Amino acid sequence: MSPVRQLLALYRTLLDQQLTKSRLLLIAGFSVLALVLALSIGNQVEPEFRIESVVGFLSVYGLGFMVPILSLLFASSTLGQLVDDETLVYIWLRPNPRWQLALAAWAAATTVSLPVAVIPLASAAAIGTSGQTDTVVATGLSMALAAIGYSGLFVLAGLVFRRALLWGLVYVFIWELFVARAGAGAARLSLNTYPHSVLARMTEIELPLAERSMAAGLIVPPALALVAVAATAWWLSRAEIT
Amino acid sequence: MTALDTPPPPVVPRDASVVLTKVSKSFGPLVAVSDIDLVIRPGITALLGPNGAGKSTLLRLICGLAKPTTGTVWVAGGNPRFDDEARSHLGLVPQQDGVFERLTALETVRLAATLSGLADPEEQARRVLDTVELDAELERDVGTFSKGMRQRVKVAQALVHDPSVLVLDEPLNGLDPRQRHHMIDLFRRLGDAGRTVLVSSHVLDEVERFGSHVVVVAKGRLVAEGDFREIRTLLENQPHRIRVSCGQARDVAAELIRLPTVIGCEVVDAETVELTTGDVRAVRRQLLAICQKLDLTLHTISPLDDDLESVFRYLVGDRP
Repeated sequence: MSPVRQLLALYRTLLDQQLTKSRLLLIAGFSVLALVLALSIGNQVEPEFRIESVVGFLSVYGLGFMVPILSLLFASSTLGQLVDDETLVYIWLRPNPRWQLALAAWAAATTVSLPVAVIPLASAAAIGTSGQTDTVVATGLSMALAAIGYSGLFVLAGLVFRRALLWGLVYVFIWELFVARAGAGAARLSLNTYPHSVLARMTEIELPLAERSMAAGLIVPPALALVAVAATAWWLSRAEIT
Repeated sequence: MTALDTPPPPVVPRDASVVLTKVSKSFGPLVAVSDIDLVIRPGITALLGPNGAGKSTLLRLICGLAKPTTGTVWVAGGNPRFDDEARSHLGLVPQQDGVFERLTALETVRLAATLSGLADPEEQARRVLDTVELDAELERDVGTFSKGMRQRVKVAQALVHDPSVLVLDEPLNGLDPRQRHHMIDLFRRLGDAGRTVLVSSHVLDEVERFGSHVVVVAKGRLVAEGDFREIRTLLENQPHRIRVSCGQARDVAAELIRLPTVIGCEVVDAETVELTTGDVRAVRRQLLAICQKLDLTLHTISPLDDDLESVFRYLVGDRP
């Protein structure tokens, strides 16, 4: 049997575990709030400051809050839930290479977090800027990069940490929002700086944390996801399974 | 995985399916499994031990789910912790209740079949669900199943790839008497067909029905191994305590103490007597005669030390 079939079976199973009613409601809530706030900001500011204001809002609400939180919620539970409910054993014991499970977990998490990040926030950009195409594309691309990177990182966290949600929140709120902004060295270890840089450079609007080059902004989040998948596979091969 | 991580292969007897050599497992200061040497061959082997004896840890080590602190585990040609080929020969029914709550029984078993690389996962899943008497057409998620039904799903996913080594951790939990009988029969057939079936239990009578070869574990150590009947005889030679409820306790106690098979007797209350005997079966027969003589109804006869804790205390020489 081809490894692709096994990979797809894992992917479908993990994806199916992701989509619960409460999570879908949460996605809807975050999305509606983004649309309403973007519309409100777009209407309240002068036309010449509209793009700057809306991009500023999306960088804080989207990149700083919505995408990391939703990615954390979905990605950390992809394998974390299997650990918690002790079902990982049924998959782990099968004669499949560990990278298949790690890749399937990341793909399942990204399948949810990517549209959740891109569609409502790009729509918010469109509403807030009255359809300014460059801003919409920049928003969609930067949110997608953030979702890809965070999903890889948090799939690994869900496997490694018992309270991954808590540690993830500490990373998002303490490291990304405060420590990373305090110095250039810390900022390099912040995933958020890379999609921020893409958003800033594509819209030509100054944003905090946006100190990386366009190339780094495009390459680092997917590369980080790849490294996280490899680390997840390594961890799966070493961990004790309950 | 480096060469340093790979322990040297153990000396494996030709007919062995599972070989444990000097295996220990510690969790911090707690030693769960201590210095176990064990060879398991095709057929049924019952792993017997009280709760907390280290049975589940031992089974997890055999399946490669846990890394031994010291020693080596060899299963069907390799180390299941690192060797896909060795794991392909393993089927496990874990003790925990966890199942994929949002999958149906067919989806759960089909996933196992797909991941095992079977050519026709759907067909194999249906076949094995039929074997455990579960309806493959059932549309309900496994999360809504009764404990017994979940248990059968767990057995089905373990069997779907026809493993040569089947590891069953308390597999009869939650099953009704008819299902228990069916499962025991199934495991015996697998053992007779040359599969290695390692089944753990803390219920002595249950183990007796699985087969004759028994491995007894207590406090993480292997304390006895061999034919069940020999171990049973060993256990039956120790004095047993029994509680009898039949009314007129003083009169019954007076009759009982005269019997040569009764070592000691104590009146607990007006209805209940506790006695110590070296021959439980004889005392049961004699009790019926005593009750008949005194015109009493025998309500209950319950063993006070027939639980496995007592059995193992006896086996390890730590009697109560």
